[in-house]
Amino acid sequence: MTPLDKTVSGQKVRIVDIAGGEAVRRRLFALGFQPGDMIESGSRGIWGGPVVLRNLRTGVSVAVGRGIARKILVASGHE
Amino acid sequence: MSDPRNPVVLFIGQPNCGKSTLFNAIAGHKVQTANFPGSTVQHSHSRVTIAGRIVDIIDLPGTYSLNPSDPAEKVALSHLFQEKPDVLINVVDASLLGRSLELTLELLEMEVPTVVALNMLDLAERKGISTDPGKLQAALGVPVVPTIAAHGRGIKELVEAALAVLDAPARPPRLRWSRAVEEKIAELADRLPEDLSVVANKRFTAVRMIESGPTFCVDFLREIHPGLRDTLDEIRTKLEAGRGLPAYEVMAAERHHRSMKIFEETSTVRRRARRPWSERLDDVLMHPVLGYVVLFGVFLAFFFVIFKAGAPLEGVFLKPFESARSALGARLGQSLWGYLADGLLQGIGGGIAIVLPYFIPLLVMMALLEDAGYLARAGFLLDTFMHRLGLHGKSVSPFVLGFGCNVPAIAATRILESRRDRILTSLLIPFIPCSARTTIILALVGFYLGPLWALGFYVANLLLIAVLSRVLSLFFPSDSPGLLLEIPALKIPTPKSIAYKVYFQLKAFVRLAWPLLIGGSIVLSALQYFRWDKALNVVLGPLVAGLLGLPRELGVTLVFGFLRKELSLVMMLQALGTSFQDLGRMITREQMIVFTVFVSLFIPCLSTLAMLWKESGRKVALLSAGLSITVAIALSVLVRMIV
Repeated sequence: MTPLDKTVSGQKVRIVDIAGGEAVRRRLFALGFQPGDMIESGSRGIWGGPVVLRNLRTGVSVAVGRGIARKILVASGHE
Repeated sequence: MSDPRNPVVLFIGQPNCGKSTLFNAIAGHKVQTANFPGSTVQHSHSRVTIAGRIVDIIDLPGTYSLNPSDPAEKVALSHLFQEKPDVLINVVDASLLGRSLELTLELLEMEVPTVVALNMLDLAERKGISTDPGKLQAALGVPVVPTIAAHGRGIKELVEAALAVLDAPARPPRLRWSRAVEEKIAELADRLPEDLSVVANKRFTAVRMIESGPTFCVDFLREIHPGLRDTLDEIRTKLEAGRGLPAYEVMAAERHHRSMKIFEETSTVRRRARRPWSERLDDVLMHPVLGYVVLFGVFLAFFFVIFKAGAPLEGVFLKPFESARSALGARLGQSLWGYLADGLLQGIGGGIAIVLPYFIPLLVMMALLEDAGYLARAGFLLDTFMHRLGLHGKSVSPFVLGFGCNVPAIAATRILESRRDRILTSLLIPFIPCSARTTIILALVGFYLGPLWALGFYVANLLLIAVLSRVLSLFFPSDSPGLLLEIPALKIPTPKSIAYKVYFQLKAFVRLAWPLLIGGSIVLSALQYFRWDKALNVVLGPLVAGLLGLPRELGVTLVFGFLRKELSLVMMLQALGTSFQDLGRMITREQMIVFTVFVSLFIPCLSTLAMLWKESGRKVALLSAGLSITVAIALSVLVRMIV
């Protein structure tokens, strides 16, 4: 398991867990991201800026701050 | 509340699903739209006649789910529950169907007759997604109408479907949860106290209670029905024990997987040889280096287009008004009528020749950026800088809207989850040069000192906001977990939508602002005729002449600037008794700059202040006014010393 901010742009991974507090988890769920979903790690802002993640099943893209990206734990699709 | 005799049709959907565009197509263009999640932050009512029947239709802010997390979503929910709609039109984004259906599933549990508008089919097509409306209709058990709101397709069918449902209301079928969950829901629904006022139905209320977060409402419910709290806790614990997850996650996960399943059963996704242009363009727009180059380019283009289009027009339009004024002056002379007619002409001319040439290009540029979906990209790019200023990227959208007008920008802070971010953003928005101030900057600084001076002015203004944000955030410790912003797909703005948006804003200007400009000019003429302006100018003398070093006659125009910022500029000519072309002879370059700095900053205009008061309370409004006055005086004096 790696935090999302350690992935490289273009990498396809599966969300294993969201380690954030309830508010962040609820918000991510509402935006359509849940453990088990395959996502593609996308662009990232310079200077510790946000990370874009795209849900490969629903096609939704969101930008999350680096602090939240650190709490989204992912693994390669086969694990 | 709506008139009980008329049927109520309520539009609801996730942010940026095209709800307002659909609503506008039916209601006749009453709602502002944009390609940004959360452009509708207030609900809007409209009474329309369709096929001879009067129907109340209501557009709600977008909400991702029925568990609200920002004030705009709370608005949506309170209306959804209070209006007792006869028909729900659930607008879903076909290009994001898997996610959109999650809200649909929540809504169906209300058991209110529902029609699903499967919108943005063109966008879905571009992504290679094709959904079978028939299959979706069968899976959901409610009518599904394919639409492309932006091109007006499917509107008629949607209206017909809604009317048909109104005539023969059918309760949507119950979509069952897994057995373990369904049992717990039923158990709670059964055990709800008889005297509890439920929303929609007992089952729906039970689901909402299990899923709800730690909100005041639930606490309150628990207080008045102490037994209910134990029941709810017991049921949540049972659910949690089964899956090893918090109860709300059990529900969310199940709903998520069910929507994905429905999506996959009703849609096919074609693998495309090439990624769509919008995604390839995003690689550039959101690139760590190129992205910022583009952002800077957009900012420059924004500025120069407005100036290049505005300045020549300003010159052309002013001439006839100036000649009319001198002709009139020769005929009516120094009589009261002469003064009043001159004021009238100044007001009309100021609106047409000074304001509109800059206002219209600015509206067009804003509309283009909004509809293309660039604001979310700007939010992404600027997030890291905003962090260093104590905010985050989600505030970029309200800020950018502020360049058009501060009033809707303050309303747009409702998309921010934390109150602290909302207040901080609302306090900073009045420092953003809105279209009125841009007009002053371009017409005065740009026209007389050159576009580079005006650009410098703009940049300095942005720096000021950055410094203020940094300072203010020291007083408001951050409680925000960080950015969480949906990035909508890029779209090509349709000329129709741009035209409507510009028309919408122009109408508001002509109706509200222009009468103020004309009225203000006439009042000033009257004041001048009776020589009352002298008294005001004497009172303001120490500030205007002493501190700012401006001609004493401008005192009265500053007072009027509180109504509309452009008014100060229009009245300035009148107060100094000069025409726009001769202004350079009456005041120096330094005075122009000081005047522009002071007028831009000295106080949020009346409408902005009223909006601040309404959204954030009296304290914030007064704080904002005090802050503006302090900053304006300090900076003006500073500029006077430097220049």
